[in-house]
Amino acid sequence: MILLDIKNLTIELETAEGLIRAVDRVNLTIREGEIRGLVGESGSGKSLIAKAIVGVLNKRWHITADRFSWAGQDLLRLSYEEQRKIIGRDIAMIYQEPSRSMDPTAPILEQLIESIPDSELESSWWGRPFERRKKAIALLHKVGIRDHQAIFNSYPYQLPEGVCQKIMIAMAIAKKPKLLIADEPTTALESTTQAQLFRLLASFNQLKGMSILLISHELETVARNTQTLSVLYCGQLVEAGETATILKQPLHPYTDALIKSVPEFQPDLASKQPLYALPGSIPTLQHLPIGCRLGPRCPNARKECVKTPVLDRLQNHYFSCHFPLQGKK
Amino acid sequence: MMTTPLLEIRQLYKSYQKAQGIFGRKTIQALSDISFSLYPGQTLAIVGETGSGKSTLAKLLVGIETPDSGEILLEGEAVTISDYKKYNHVIRYIFQDPARSLNPHQKVGQMLDDVLRYSTQLDEEQRQDKIHQTLQQLGLMEEHADYYPHMFSGGQLQRVALARALIMDPKLLILDEALTALDPSLRAQIVNLLLELQKNTGLSYLLITNHLRLVRHISDSMLVLHQGKALDYGQTHEVFSNPQHDYSKKLIKSAQS
Repeated sequence: MILLDIKNLTIELETAEGLIRAVDRVNLTIREGEIRGLVGESGSGKSLIAKAIVGVLNKRWHITADRFSWAGQDLLRLSYEEQRKIIGRDIAMIYQEPSRSMDPTAPILEQLIESIPDSELESSWWGRPFERRKKAIALLHKVGIRDHQAIFNSYPYQLPEGVCQKIMIAMAIAKKPKLLIADEPTTALESTTQAQLFRLLASFNQLKGMSILLISHELETVARNTQTLSVLYCGQLVEAGETATILKQPLHPYTDALIKSVPEFQPDLASKQPLYALPGSIPTLQHLPIGCRLGPRCPNARKECVKTPVLDRLQNHYFSCHFPLQGKK
Repeated sequence: MMTTPLLEIRQLYKSYQKAQGIFGRKTIQALSDISFSLYPGQTLAIVGETGSGKSTLAKLLVGIETPDSGEILLEGEAVTISDYKKYNHVIRYIFQDPARSLNPHQKVGQMLDDVLRYSTQLDEEQRQDKIHQTLQQLGLMEEHADYYPHMFSGGQLQRVALARALIMDPKLLILDEALTALDPSLRAQIVNLLLELQKNTGLSYLLITNHLRLVRHISDSMLVLHQGKALDYGQTHEVFSNPQHDYSKKLIKSAQS
């Protein structure tokens, strides 16, 4: 079943110079039980999309979409209260710097208990405090923290970043969400803890059938942990499809450059040899090029590239480029 | 090897005192018995998690901290903290986040000029020449000297930070997680730039990072630090193919799985 189905999502920012289109007609679908990666560099709008999905963008951002449906219901047509109700029930999100997104003034137990919704509790009201505590302990055990007693009375600043991120995940899964959005969950972590965390996320995906949207700028970590992949550049969807297919045969020059710039994917490259890199730098939001936004940096750009390419498909592999790397059709 | 190493560290120890209770003191051994050597034109990677002593080591090398015991030899000569002014030409330091390590109130040209004014005998004209030459070497334009740091994009900013380090023609560059925060396509550009500089000028790098995949590509030798102790030290490909300690095995496995 398709859980989230977004078509032509456009997010615009109101500024003194007029509207800036930060996200330009992006499509995104997430099926039940799928782990989808969302890759893009800074300024690509990946975090904006995540925030648009959970509906936490403020009034300055204009969100429009042809279709924005969650499990068959169009979210944008619902009233604000109904939106919150559905999103609050089904979607959870974890953030980049866990110790900063937790309440610094409350001990962990209080924060964890707060995240358990009433609908998860069975006992009558006098049994609830006890049940909540029991649930909180079970949650910590689920994310691989055994010594719950020591954690419960600690404050976020006293705990290592990896433990904080696990607690964030515990909070996120407390309501048994259908979709977990992980916005750069491992950037603040050590490489050994990173591997642990991905194993944890994968196990929830397999055991509970929870879908995961994994957002990151590191292609290699995303590639290793996802089944499907969407690549963004400057707010435009560049390529989407199955991770393995994209890695094997990228159709868009940007995806190609991303893959080539990671030494891990280039086994033939001798050490200390120059990496493949696109010239130039990522344009800022105020100076976005028209048409295909990769245009000025693209090695195969031609005259046609001043028009935004439409999303084309090759079986299940979507790409938006006038001159894909493998011949069209 | 016949050549003298550019930098040699012998049995370096460093500990910190931390107050405990009202009168008590606790000693934290930040580094114990660290030895390594770095030859000209080579790259040494120092890998380890937070709290492993990576940054302490870097601070000792640039003279922000003094070691408890042990020797730091630069081209065969022992350096002490009083020589700092002499050897800050040779060792330069690049910080993690260029946006935060550059002064936002100062134009790039002024900033580079300051470096030259404090540490060299060059006159005004020579300094200007040197600034322009360095900017060009790093793929920036002369006009960029009149820019403020906020006018640069992330990748260019890291180039400016590199310019500040390279303007003194150093022999050793310490990169403290300098590549981690960059976006992949910009990181590839900077890596290429660093590799090219190394090839052309014989610069040595000390790369402090926990990004193992990059280490494998650009470093010649590597040192795994864990809780202040050196675990594995050797050629990068040897350490990667045959790690000796459990921690290094775990670390390397996490980068490959």
